[in-house]
Amino acid sequence: MSTTVKRVYGYLAEFESASALYKAAEKVRDAGYRKWDCFTPYPVHGLDAAMGVKRSILPYFVFCGGLTGFLTAFLLAYITQVGIYPTVVQAKPANIFTVPAFFPIMFELTVLFSGFTALFGLLGLCQLPRLNHPLFASRQFARTTDDGFFIAIEARDPKFSAEGTKGFLDEIGGGSIELVEDESR
Amino acid sequence: MGHTVTSKDIPAGGEHLDRGKVAKCMRICAVVAVVGTVLSVLFLLLGPEKWRGSYAFSWLLAFFYFLTITLGGCFWTLLHNVSNSGWGTSVRRIMENVGFVFPFMLVFALPLLLPEVQRFLYEWMELHRGAADGRPLLGGNAVEELHHSSDPHDHLLYLKSWFLSIPFWYFRFFFYFGALGFVIWRLRKWSIEQDTDPNPGTARLFKQRFHSAWGIPILAVCLTFAAIDWVMGLDYTWFSTMWGVYVFAGSALNAMAVIIFLTLWLRRQGYLEKVVSTEHYHLMGKLAFTFTVFWAYISFSQFFLIWYANITEETRYFLLRNTENWNVLSIGLVALHFFAPFLLLIRSDVKKKPGFMLFMSCYLLSLHLLDVYHMIIPERGPSVGMAAETMGHEPVLWIGGAWLLDIVALVIIGCGFLYFLLRNLTSAALYPHRDPRILESANVHN
Repeated sequence: MSTTVKRVYGYLAEFESASALYKAAEKVRDAGYRKWDCFTPYPVHGLDAAMGVKRSILPYFVFCGGLTGFLTAFLLAYITQVGIYPTVVQAKPANIFTVPAFFPIMFELTVLFSGFTALFGLLGLCQLPRLNHPLFASRQFARTTDDGFFIAIEARDPKFSAEGTKGFLDEIGGGSIELVEDESR
Repeated sequence: MGHTVTSKDIPAGGEHLDRGKVAKCMRICAVVAVVGTVLSVLFLLLGPEKWRGSYAFSWLLAFFYFLTITLGGCFWTLLHNVSNSGWGTSVRRIMENVGFVFPFMLVFALPLLLPEVQRFLYEWMELHRGAADGRPLLGGNAVEELHHSSDPHDHLLYLKSWFLSIPFWYFRFFFYFGALGFVIWRLRKWSIEQDTDPNPGTARLFKQRFHSAWGIPILAVCLTFAAIDWVMGLDYTWFSTMWGVYVFAGSALNAMAVIIFLTLWLRRQGYLEKVVSTEHYHLMGKLAFTFTVFWAYISFSQFFLIWYANITEETRYFLLRNTENWNVLSIGLVALHFFAPFLLLIRSDVKKKPGFMLFMSCYLLSLHLLDVYHMIIPERGPSVGMAAETMGHEPVLWIGGAWLLDIVALVIIGCGFLYFLLRNLTSAALYPHRDPRILESANVHN
């Protein structure tokens, strides 16, 4: 006697091939949907443009991360080696002209901070890690890792309507259209 | 995305650069190059001592600057073939055309064969010759003379004589042009034959790929040892194991700048419209960006290890280049050859803008000139400058007015380079229109 209230996640529709999915994606994009996604077993070139996905802001994060690493390393080395405790090595100057000695660590920290920002920025923007996804409730969705090409339009999309969206997916060539419900709450 | 390019969009006869457009330019270039080279050789033989010495360095500067670009053209052709690339088939012919200027650079290398020119450029040759002439008792054998000399520098030269010997130097000189010239000539010939074959097939494509595989080591050997012979050899006491890679990094970067420039120029003239898209600008821009970073990585590594180790025989190169105003040039190179292009090229959208990339290719090429200048010209003062000017205590750093000679040499060899480049461009279709992968390249997406 389950009393769980299920919430509608959205519609899932299957497409026959990568090219059918590509063409359908352009139509979903042009219809003005915002909260939707494509699922394919392998990367489809140009799908981001067909979906109208904007460029990620991640590169800017990475640039800032890299710059932070660059400056951290420079200041750390400069303040300690030149400012607080000037270290003379092999009669090399202890001023700004000793900066080549700091380049390796400046390079390393630039790479390290950029790499971390890229990884954690990506995870953050994708809201990962997450333990479950509502689409896992769909049995046919497992085929997306094998031979299935899917489009899912979420219920939280402002244009979503129970009948209209179903009809729309049918119209653009989607098969096995399924209403997926979120089981978590 | 625009519409997909199909075989209907590719003209059956291929696109050809209109000869009329460039005929006048080619004629002027040919006249300047021929007259200029003849006069230069006369000047190098008969001019006043100080000025012909200075001019020998100017000539080497101009020759080596354009040589590196042609070497880079060979590199991109070989790399494109050997990596089985599909993206660049539309611009491959341009790579081949830049690379195929290399064999013709022999014309401008010929003055380097004259002992009167070598006298100023390569001190070790002078010492070899002097040793050979000095005492006929040992049969005029330079190496034996150096072996028995009491000067420690001569002993160094004796230890290096297995490589730094005059006959071997001449052999290598012709080997570079012969071996790499043959490779690039053969590859371009296969590529062009494909254009007119009614049944093109894939046989030539595989042949180009196969023969590029051994072409790569040929290029590596020729580029490295040419750089060692002609530029590192300016000071026989100095050595750097990074030298070949350093010259290679600049070569590849600036050949790519020339390829970008030519592609954009041809697009502006109304060619390549079907087969080259912003995707190609983006890809080539990325390669230019990569090699900007690679150049910085290599040149810094070379500097850093020498600077840190502080071993006398290694430091001379940078000691000279960090003295007085040369130091400004050295630091300027770091800022202008690395930081500026790095920050300018880092964004992906600017690499897709033709106007900007045209500017960047010119910028990179002018900075490459500064880089080659930094390799060669600081040696001019100590080699040519009269010791009397500083009472023989300090090396002469700067020959006043010699920069005019640099410009003259750059104009002469630049005209020669341009002539052969345009000759290559007009002698065949602008892109391999019968290559099996031309459509893949035209529709490339990245």
